[in-house]
Amino acid sequence: MESPPAERVKKVSAVVFALLVFLPVLLFSSMIAGREISRFYALAWSLFAAGIAFAIAYTGRVSAYRRVFFSASAVLFLVHFKSGLFPGAPGPSCFKETPFCHIAMAPYFFGYLYQQYLALMSGGWKLWGPLTLGAGWLFVTLAIGRGWCSWACFYGGIDDGLSAIPRRPLIKAGGWVFKLRDLPAALLVFMLLASLAYMLPVYCLWLCPFKLTEVFMDGEPSVRRLQYALMVFALAALVLGPLLTRKRTFCSFLCPFAAWQAFWGRANPFRVTAAPEKCSACGNCAQACPMFAVTCAAGAAAEVLPYCNLCGECLGACPQGALRYTVFGADLPAAGGRLGRLFTAGYFFVFSALTLGGVFSSLWAPAALRDLVKLVLP
Amino acid sequence: MPALFSEGFLLGLSTGFYCLSACLPMLAPYLLAEGTAAWRINFYIFLQFLGGRFAAYMLFAVFASLLGKAGEYALPAWVLPASLAATGLLMLVLGVARVSGGSGPCVLKKDLDPFFKRLPLALGFVTGINICPPFAAGFIRLLEMADVLKGLVYFGGFFTATSLFISPLLLGTPWLGRRANEIGRLTLIIAGGWYTILGLKELIYQ
Repeated sequence: MESPPAERVKKVSAVVFALLVFLPVLLFSSMIAGREISRFYALAWSLFAAGIAFAIAYTGRVSAYRRVFFSASAVLFLVHFKSGLFPGAPGPSCFKETPFCHIAMAPYFFGYLYQQYLALMSGGWKLWGPLTLGAGWLFVTLAIGRGWCSWACFYGGIDDGLSAIPRRPLIKAGGWVFKLRDLPAALLVFMLLASLAYMLPVYCLWLCPFKLTEVFMDGEPSVRRLQYALMVFALAALVLGPLLTRKRTFCSFLCPFAAWQAFWGRANPFRVTAAPEKCSACGNCAQACPMFAVTCAAGAAAEVLPYCNLCGECLGACPQGALRYTVFGADLPAAGGRLGRLFTAGYFFVFSALTLGGVFSSLWAPAALRDLVKLVLP
Repeated sequence: MPALFSEGFLLGLSTGFYCLSACLPMLAPYLLAEGTAAWRINFYIFLQFLGGRFAAYMLFAVFASLLGKAGEYALPAWVLPASLAATGLLMLVLGVARVSGGSGPCVLKKDLDPFFKRLPLALGFVTGINICPPFAAGFIRLLEMADVLKGLVYFGGFFTATSLFISPLLLGTPWLGRRANEIGRLTLIIAGGWYTILGLKELIYQ
């Protein structure tokens, strides 16, 4: 039991942290949502993000509350943009345009560059958008890097949420899966090349499970059947994989953006770092990691792979507290005062990730809340 | 003859980017899988690949000229999907054999017949027999000329120009390491599977 002053300090710092997240999310969310709907929905979404921030700061449990936020954001994305695909279900009544899919950007990058070149040379300035899209991606990469895949990606939340449902994995992945851990990178390389060769977004047409529709598929029946089969396979990896293994199977093995961000995310300063002197080599962290991004050989200290997307699951799983968020592998100098506990790499990262995730999801979350309200109170 | 070489060369220059994009999914995974930080080894692999591609081009030049002489102006429909499937299978076999590492049936082991070590050559050859649109344009010209020697010169020019577009790929190889090799091997499997399935599908549904 903590002494009352320590408890009060914890509460105060958690409130301050929640406010720090709430204000920017509210500001940007109301600007975005206010274009088409009542700002009340933006306020509701900002309060939710702030509540998550408070819970993280108050309990110190990062991943559990992150998952609530992350999965809620993904579910709201589905509610708003994908529910219209089901027969009889109403489509979105506002914010009808889906945000540009970041997963498509990575495997179609060469094609995108080529199209931008054509737009530039032909003077088609309306089609020329590397400054907006590229700057947006650069900002995200510098702010949270690989953390995008566990805090902001509107699809990752599905995989992540489902992986938390089973208490125990029905299928335990052996060490052999690490032989396939580079599969997303290989997929990315192939998709980059194939998309350039065909001048088509090959990943979207052939593998993406999130399209949940056949409208983009090829007209030729045999090709269409293949595309269908691959989409169903990817859908199984997205839905059944996490339920059977308690791991994010789609994100770990089939998402090219995860590989893209693992590569470029090295530019971001935040890391999850293991302290070898504290590590007892129990392997709990490797078992807990939903992304197959921590290895722990018998008797050796845990090793965090470049595919780690800073979800924080391993931090809570380590009985020795050997894993922590760092800046380029180093801790920040200790700060005193009432709010001193917030001046760590972990809180800086969580602030960045949660704020960015909250603002980005304002493109659909307030609108989805409105959809739900309208559904309940027509 | 120099005029014919120039004509082929100009066709290659004008369509080189397309050639590059068509050849990249075949060559790049192989270079990624087998390349090292040593530039000379990568250059050697690249030369072998070009050698195989050159052999394929010359073979096609002869073949097309003979077809033109015989008054045949079209290739049998199975040639393109069969060559695609052959490329895919070769990449697939190589990738699967290599991804399993030392314990697997590594086809590049030293005690194997030297023939099997010349896989970049074989890969270049099967890449060369895949008919992309620029290649088809040259092919039609050969059918029209119906002269073996002229055909060889014309395709020699075409090969030289298109090779210029592929060569910058070597610039990326000095950074290759063990990790890149692993990624390259998995890419070989994916690309191999892709081309095999597409080729077989075309053969079956023709």
